[in-house]
Amino acid sequence: MSRTIFNNVELLPPDALFNIKKRLTDDSRPVKVDLGIGAYRDDSGKPWVLPSVREAERLVREDPSYNHEYLSITGFTGLTDGAAKVLLGEESAALKEGRVASVQSLSGTGALHLAAKFLSKTCPEKSVYLSEPTWANHKAIFESQGLQTATYPYWNAATKSLDLEKYLEAIYSASRGSIFVLHACAHNPTGLDPTEQQWTKILDAMAANDHIVLFDSAYQGFASGNLDKDAFAVRLGLQKLATVSPILVCQSFAKNVGMYGERVGAFHVVLPVPETGVEVQNVKAAVTSQLAKITRSELSNPPAYGAKVVSQVLNNKELRAQWYRDMETMSSRIQKMRHALRDHLVALKTPGNWDHIVQQIGMFSYTGLSSEMVQRLEKEHAVYLVSSGRASIAGLNSGNVEHVARAIHEVVTYYSNSKF
Amino acid sequence: MSVVRRLSSKASSIYNIPRAPPDRILGLTERFNSDQNPLKVNLTVGIYKDENGQVTTLPSVARAQTVLDQHEELNTDLSYLPISGSADFQSNVLQFLFRESAPQGAQYLDEDRISFIQTLSGTGALAVASKLLSLFVTKTAWVPDPSWANHCNVLQNNGFKDIRPYPYLKNGSLNVEQWLQELQNAPVASSQSNPQCIILHACCHNPSGIDPSSEQWTEILDTIHDLNLIPIIDMAYQGMDTGDLYKDAYLLRMSLDSQRYCWPNGLFLCQSFAKNMGLYGERVGSLSVVTPPDMTLKPNIDSQLKKIVRGFYSSPPGYGSRVANVVLSTSELKTQWFEDVKKMHSRLQSVRTKMAERLNWNCFSEINGQHGMFLYTGLSPSQVGILRENHSVYLNSDGRLSLSGLNSSNIDYVCDCMQKVTDGA
Repeated sequence: MSRTIFNNVELLPPDALFNIKKRLTDDSRPVKVDLGIGAYRDDSGKPWVLPSVREAERLVREDPSYNHEYLSITGFTGLTDGAAKVLLGEESAALKEGRVASVQSLSGTGALHLAAKFLSKTCPEKSVYLSEPTWANHKAIFESQGLQTATYPYWNAATKSLDLEKYLEAIYSASRGSIFVLHACAHNPTGLDPTEQQWTKILDAMAANDHIVLFDSAYQGFASGNLDKDAFAVRLGLQKLATVSPILVCQSFAKNVGMYGERVGAFHVVLPVPETGVEVQNVKAAVTSQLAKITRSELSNPPAYGAKVVSQVLNNKELRAQWYRDMETMSSRIQKMRHALRDHLVALKTPGNWDHIVQQIGMFSYTGLSSEMVQRLEKEHAVYLVSSGRASIAGLNSGNVEHVARAIHEVVTYYSNSKF
Repeated sequence: MSVVRRLSSKASSIYNIPRAPPDRILGLTERFNSDQNPLKVNLTVGIYKDENGQVTTLPSVARAQTVLDQHEELNTDLSYLPISGSADFQSNVLQFLFRESAPQGAQYLDEDRISFIQTLSGTGALAVASKLLSLFVTKTAWVPDPSWANHCNVLQNNGFKDIRPYPYLKNGSLNVEQWLQELQNAPVASSQSNPQCIILHACCHNPSGIDPSSEQWTEILDTIHDLNLIPIIDMAYQGMDTGDLYKDAYLLRMSLDSQRYCWPNGLFLCQSFAKNMGLYGERVGSLSVVTPPDMTLKPNIDSQLKKIVRGFYSSPPGYGSRVANVVLSTSELKTQWFEDVKKMHSRLQSVRTKMAERLNWNCFSEINGQHGMFLYTGLSPSQVGILRENHSVYLNSDGRLSLSGLNSSNIDYVCDCMQKVTDGA
């Protein structure tokens, strides 16, 4: 007889991403490179506090009314209102018509979790479609709430490009009213986004099939360096689906404000233009109340500090302008590193074509390296990335990019030689 | 956007969502904020306010914040914390809880038997604990009646199916006999292989403020142990009972007595720094699972706790835990913190005494021995309603009054109103 029922608890493998950091810390080699987690580093490989954030922190703490009182369950309205505007647009019809219910969330994961729990209560029978491939945590977030997930084709490995045709087919063959999770920009892990024309086709297809779109916006600003430009898909979606279906938006400020660990985000439910006789404000209040109940049952109310800081950045005109500049600083450095890595690989005559590294956008490159190659990179060269071959380009800097290029060169050469 | 299409029936299913009732405590604050009466007094939420009615930052915490501001290496890294929280926080808090507050815990730490995660304060700890238990161990929980209004909500939303109230009070006094009888006579008994869990308030029972004596706790813990119940200790008010942080951890000390108890299905401690460090909105707390002596167990629990957190919110917020770390690891600030807690406690006690002088009510009697931030007035929901509607004095509907909202500028007004309401005036 078992001594304790806890013996039924199964040991899970460590989370792949967070475990990299642990192995890295334990690694005693002098030169080691973290290309795992998607966190921005400056050219000396150090975390970078954005100047706009630094100033916002000062303003928050020097405010005479600053204290640690509880926020309301739905969070800090300066944050949620500002967040809605920066993503949906100042001129958004949905905002002007009061069709957006917004609550604060624990960054992107917290927002996705709220979405999953909300969907599991309101429409548990619907399937949630995820891009193939997608962020490693997506599937677990939805499935742990009892929702069924399926995938839609996205990445064509052979051409290293978007498989639009198969993508559209999947939209049409899914049962009407399904839920589609779309990466708002800087697709994780592939770094490949649809073009504006492709987005139009995709969102028209969503509308034609009454699908409910969930935009996961974790990298606004990292695709183009411009926050408005990176909101293109979300804003187009709001237009295309305005009279068709609600849209769910999961928004994270981890990356673009650089406050990863403060867990600042928002979850928005954009209601469609109501049918005659339906009072949209009542629906909005009902949706908000359900979201509040979920939050109350898991954390009572969201964390205050990061919310206040980000709210400053969003609502203070000068800080917001500074933030736009900070965004450019980050994205242009990443862009520079993409070119440096590609150029080194080309100069080393590494087998294969490496142009996709500069074509891809956002923080990541989907290198195309196999999981064996990734293993060897770590073992022989102390270069760490996730087994899918996704590399966080933000981890590169002028001091280590050549080391990484040589490491990739050695590994790719090693495997291409061993094949013959 | 020229053609307005008809909404499909599927899409409009969102219009079938009913409005969830407002949260019983935080909903009142919303009403309070829109009340126009200049004399209005909010005595609902358990936030400490000073003699001037202000929410201030504890001196120890304010100094810790200055330390953070001024130390470059402490504030240049806003990276993700690990899923289970900051490693420094873990060692500081484990040290504080299981070596200092409850030295009986040292043995468990030395044997590496405590699974720990940083949580979003007490609620976050309860939520993760509930999820773990409901996934693998039990979906049945005993909760005191009355209890904190959110306990049932947390359990239900995290997988519990069977929530059983146990009688805690009878005519405003503690009733241990009836409580234990109820547990013993349960139609479906808890067993080692099919256990149930029970929520215990570590001190300052919320909302009544009435706690069992240590003799009574021995009897309670013995019974719970015999019945194979899994204790979930909710410790939200450590320090607010006696003003002494260490002293208030008595229930933890008693239950960790390994001579007397082994908890074959674990012991859960949900702990919060919201009140005693005044870090309410920063969401700082922890969950500790004291596991049975089986080396293979803890890694499994660790891994499942991480999986739950990764699905809920990935990793906990950093700022509050950085502040708590500085307070806990700087001996001067820690001493200051103990002073701060003592000061908060003594102000609350003096408010209680002043009220007792004004109102000759049963809730101030010795036998009731109420502790903590609240006064359990015994007012009925309709009396609470009259207080609110006629006098703009806001209490929770269960009659719980947050003492810290009172000060010399409003205590007379509130006592007068309370007297009027009970006089039926």
